[in-house]
Amino acid sequence: MTRRAAPKDLAERVLAGPVIWIGLVLLTAFALGPFVWMFLTSLKDRQELYATPLQYLPVHPTFENYVDAWTSPVTPFSRFFLNSLWVCSVTMVATTVVSVLAGYAIARFRFAGRDALLLIFLATQMFPSVLLIAPLLTQWRTLGLIDTYQALIYSNFSFTVPFTVWMMVGYFSSIPRDLEESAMIDGCNHFGALCRIVLPLAAPGIAATAIFAFVVSWSELLFAISFTTETSMRTLSAGLLYMVGQYEVQWGQLSAGVILSTVPVAVLFSFLQRHLTHGLTAGAVKG
Amino acid sequence: MTTLTVAKPRTRPLISWRVRKLLIGYSYLVPAALCMLATVVVPILLAIKMSLYADILYKPQDYRFIGLGNYLRLVEDPVFWLTLRNSVVWVFGSVLLQFLLGFAAALLLQQAFTGRALVRTLTLLPWIIPGVVVGLIWEWLYQPNYGVINDLLIRVGLMQERVAWLSSPDLAMAAVVFTNVWRGIPFFAIMLLAGLQAVPDELYEAAHVDGAGVFARFWHITLPLLRPIIVVATATRIIWTFNYADLIFVMTGGGPANATQITSTYTLLQAYSSLDFGYAGALSVVLLLVMLAFTWLYLRTTKGLEDTE
Amino acid sequence: MDERTSLSRRKLLHTLAGAGVIAAADLAWWDAPFIAPRRAWGAEPVRFQWSVPEPTRIALMNSLVERFNQSQKDFAVQIEYVPQAQARQKLISAITGGSPPDLCQVWDNWVGQFNGMGAVEDITARAKTWKHYADVVPTAWQTVTINSKIISLPLAVTLDGIYYRTDRLKELGLKEPTPDWTWDEFLALSKAFTKADKNQYGYGMRGSGTWALLYPTEFAYANGAEVLKDGKVVINSKEAVDAVAWYLDLALKHKVTPPSAATDGFVEIVETFGRGVTSMYQHNSGSSGQQKKNVGVDKFATLPLPIGPAKKRASFWFSETLTMFKGAKNKEGAWQFMSFMLDDEPSLKYNTTLGLLPARKSILDRPVFSKDPALAGFVQSFPIGIVSPYLAYPGWGGKIDSDGVPLIQQAMLGKVSAKECLDRFAEILKKEMT
Repeated sequence: MTRRAAPKDLAERVLAGPVIWIGLVLLTAFALGPFVWMFLTSLKDRQELYATPLQYLPVHPTFENYVDAWTSPVTPFSRFFLNSLWVCSVTMVATTVVSVLAGYAIARFRFAGRDALLLIFLATQMFPSVLLIAPLLTQWRTLGLIDTYQALIYSNFSFTVPFTVWMMVGYFSSIPRDLEESAMIDGCNHFGALCRIVLPLAAPGIAATAIFAFVVSWSELLFAISFTTETSMRTLSAGLLYMVGQYEVQWGQLSAGVILSTVPVAVLFSFLQRHLTHGLTAGAVKG
Repeated sequence: MTTLTVAKPRTRPLISWRVRKLLIGYSYLVPAALCMLATVVVPILLAIKMSLYADILYKPQDYRFIGLGNYLRLVEDPVFWLTLRNSVVWVFGSVLLQFLLGFAAALLLQQAFTGRALVRTLTLLPWIIPGVVVGLIWEWLYQPNYGVINDLLIRVGLMQERVAWLSSPDLAMAAVVFTNVWRGIPFFAIMLLAGLQAVPDELYEAAHVDGAGVFARFWHITLPLLRPIIVVATATRIIWTFNYADLIFVMTGGGPANATQITSTYTLLQAYSSLDFGYAGALSVVLLLVMLAFTWLYLRTTKGLEDTE
Repeated sequence: MDERTSLSRRKLLHTLAGAGVIAAADLAWWDAPFIAPRRAWGAEPVRFQWSVPEPTRIALMNSLVERFNQSQKDFAVQIEYVPQAQARQKLISAITGGSPPDLCQVWDNWVGQFNGMGAVEDITARAKTWKHYADVVPTAWQTVTINSKIISLPLAVTLDGIYYRTDRLKELGLKEPTPDWTWDEFLALSKAFTKADKNQYGYGMRGSGTWALLYPTEFAYANGAEVLKDGKVVINSKEAVDAVAWYLDLALKHKVTPPSAATDGFVEIVETFGRGVTSMYQHNSGSSGQQKKNVGVDKFATLPLPIGPAKKRASFWFSETLTMFKGAKNKEGAWQFMSFMLDDEPSLKYNTTLGLLPARKSILDRPVFSKDPALAGFVQSFPIGIVSPYLAYPGWGGKIDSDGVPLIQQAMLGKVSAKECLDRFAEILKKEMT
């Protein structure tokens, strides 16, 4: 944040300088620590992996684990990858659209049962998903949706939509009403005002919602396993568990799979995070 | 934008503006409501019905309506009360730390510095991996005999002896909470970061001119404006954490000696080990009621349902 | 509004609209954008759930299934791999949802519950007229027989024995234990192997999962105790309490077990041995293949369980089974595939690849099993093998996991005595005797 006015006080100078840097280093180290270990593990061969005492750096780094995971017909990660990408993208887009509409309605319209509705949305999250599996399975089977992407996408809604609706309600209510009202006086209808005025202002909230929907469906496992049967329909998160044997975890390959599975989300995020920046709101309010 | 300064004179519409507004409002809600109805509401109703029956899957001959029988059993089950206590520790420990650290992370990631996009992305990573895999990885890291955490701490000289983090009844809960915090920080960081964008710079500047220090500005501007998002994020997170069984199930299986057994892992055990779906249904309905009561109180005290305006 | 915001607004709108259009237009092919047209052969499908996918097993099963599919024209097995932790849950959901697979690979300790659910197909008639019926070890048949109905085919059998490090033995100048070793010798060896300062322990005790209770029960049998006698639960008899107390003392008094014992499951006891942290552990032959890779072929061997004070011992016998469901749509195909898996060649390939023991005597007698030191302990355990007493009632399996394991963990941590633990455990078992 750039601030021009008034000289900074001491607290602010300390906060801006060392505290931020120390904080950033700690934060990154904490988040990244286990990944560093996974990455090192993914480059080790069996000998190094099982060395006692622990061997930190791979002496003969090998990419075999990655090649294995990606190309093996036994655990076709490339295929899992496509499946996940598709399921999560559609979930993300649909969730965002649905929750923008609902969030806007709840934030802007007064109607009977509004609070109750919001509570019901939250209440849907209060039930353990393992107990939802059996009824959902019957439902999808009746509809002929087993081994389809729809079943996974629809099921993902059950945990993405309630939160994102709430999130959007919170976000929309922080945007001043007068902007749209003046647009509506200018002849825009409600939907037009939503699209032209409110959405751009809510971009950070929408970006966060989209990230949320993508990430949680990316790491979703229970539905992915319950509603598909063919290996070719499995998602990445289910595929990762193919590395967990009865008596042994294939640490090398699992680590490689974990590293691989984080890449697309990281790429997507590095695009979407641009919307998580200051300026848009302030500019618009001024305008 | 071109501005039309003259509003057209309106003829009185067939349906009054108020009713129309209401209808539009409802129509925006239909998709979300449909999603919920099909995927959650119907299954929940089925589960409530399930909890009123003696429904042990491998004893189909005993299947019958028993009213509140499962609930009475639950009141007398000491393990249930223990799991409820554990759940409270697990939930509040996890969410409080996730929130505080996530908020700190959001404030840090809000600053302008070179490499911000990269740091933001790196911070997000723990969130991406499925909970089951996170559990496996951390169990491995914690392992006293070949886990890297013990090894590292001993090499650095912070510890003399190996500690079995997950196998000691006193440490196990702290250890699983720590892992959950690791996984949960990005969620709060991203949501609060998005919230921070809605705070106009002008407010800060005005406050600054008025001589408000950095903490005063945080307390009087940032917090109140973020309130709706904070309330939503914490409330949802608390609910999810109550129901979140994966991590504990993989890492300790509720052990040692039920030290980390929370109500949701206990429900899972009853459903899929004992195949007692009636009892599992009752457990989840009770948990649902507990959470409903909690959420209602929480939203009332934080005024989460009211507009900020 | 300035140009910058309107530009980004337009971009955002475009993106959003574009994404919406894609999503809407794609409704029709949501199901299968990546799927090639289905294989169109005339063979009737057999849906088969496989419960432990890991690269070795997947490759093995893919090749066996392919061979079966090519060996005949009528049936085509479609295999579904489900991660182990979710396998049981998925099967139960599928059964309650009314759509089980035709066939699945599960352990006999699950089959009882499935049978209780009325979900398992009775294959007695098919099995009795099967050409290899007499060749299957009788105890293996017992593990898959409930109320004199055969409900599964035993694909492989497991018996518990003790793994130990032969190289450590030489290093420490210790005497090689013999197959008829006793508890005292076992304890002495555990102590000799334990060098806590070097992070080495004698015995990798298991504290997590069903077997955390089964292993001490095996020790109880060596002291003359039983779980069930004349229709009564007697697992809290004096013999059992003494034996379990002795077993727990390995952790509590002698401290020959690693500190993580209370939550160590299969994976951990196998990995601690594989890394040289423990020098002995109790398990079935299933991890012998891994230890050959981790420890080295000539650095470890196996023995039957030690003989207890009652001059007895017992090893619990389990089977990895192929089980057909009542709701199967293709029973004939399922049967054909089950019996194919027990033919000479598939059975041999399956068991040698995974280090398991086949259920058929004629295959078991081959040198590849009987002469391998890594398997010797298990082959020698056949005479002391008994069907696990916990298979007696379908409800027991679940109660062991939900109530029994926390109890034994408390005992392992010294929070309750062996007597108290077994008394309470006996109560739990008594309640489930229907």
